[in-house]
Amino acid sequence: MIKVNILFFGATAETVGARELEMNFAGATKSNEAFAEIKLRLPQLNEHKLLFAVNQEYANGSETIENGDELAVFTAVSGG
Amino acid sequence: MLPGKKSFELLEKSSEFRLQAVLKRGGKPRLKAELQTPGEILRTFCSIVKVDFFEITNEPLNVGAIARRVVPETCGAIVTLDGFVRQFTKGRETLYLEYEGYQPMAVREMEKLGKRAHERFEIAHVGIVHRLGKLEIGETSVVISVAAPHRRAAFEACEWLIVELKRTVPIWKKEVYRGGETWIEGEFSK
Repeated sequence: MIKVNILFFGATAETVGARELEMNFAGATKSNEAFAEIKLRLPQLNEHKLLFAVNQEYANGSETIENGDELAVFTAVSGG
Repeated sequence: MLPGKKSFELLEKSSEFRLQAVLKRGGKPRLKAELQTPGEILRTFCSIVKVDFFEITNEPLNVGAIARRVVPETCGAIVTLDGFVRQFTKGRETLYLEYEGYQPMAVREMEKLGKRAHERFEIAHVGIVHRLGKLEIGETSVVISVAAPHRRAAFEACEWLIVELKRTVPIWKKEVYRGGETWIEGEFSK
């Protein structure tokens, strides 16, 4: 089993009601599977179009998620 | 702040404004120089450390000071974007904005933009500072400063940088307007 930290910002933080959650996965997993699992466990996220990051880099879906990784789930950015 | 583990120490300062500079890497002095004039100091400084800066802050931004943080002697123009909070958007009145960021990733993404800007444009120096927190109408949210030998490259790089920043740097704004509030979602193009 692996444990990851998931960060939420802006709209996703409001929707989830938390800025940070710990989540356990059965084992090492690809990032696209991890994010599908997150959306399954937090279905309220599906009201947004989402972007994902793994360890502070945009995810491309193929990263291997390992114990202690920092994941982030957020909407399209709107800085500037 | 200087990036990475480099440090630039000013070891002594005499009444004649004479400085001894030592660039250390991993604790070992790599370059020693006795510098006589502010111009020499600046030129040496620019040549041995990266002078670009990418920062997130909760403090008000002083645009002029940020724009002039680095003025390389080989440059003839600095183009600075002062992005501030607009009061009216398509007829709707904004009361204020609240910015939030994924700070470490935002800084990394800004650093990547700086690197790509150097590859694409003939520029000498890039600085980007973005403010977070509650910003009132007219307050500066972002400053992008580009120095170049010639102005055209600086204009083009500055425009490119703000377009890319709005597309890739993980910062979000909540607009509070008369009668409501909403998190703004950018163009979904990442």
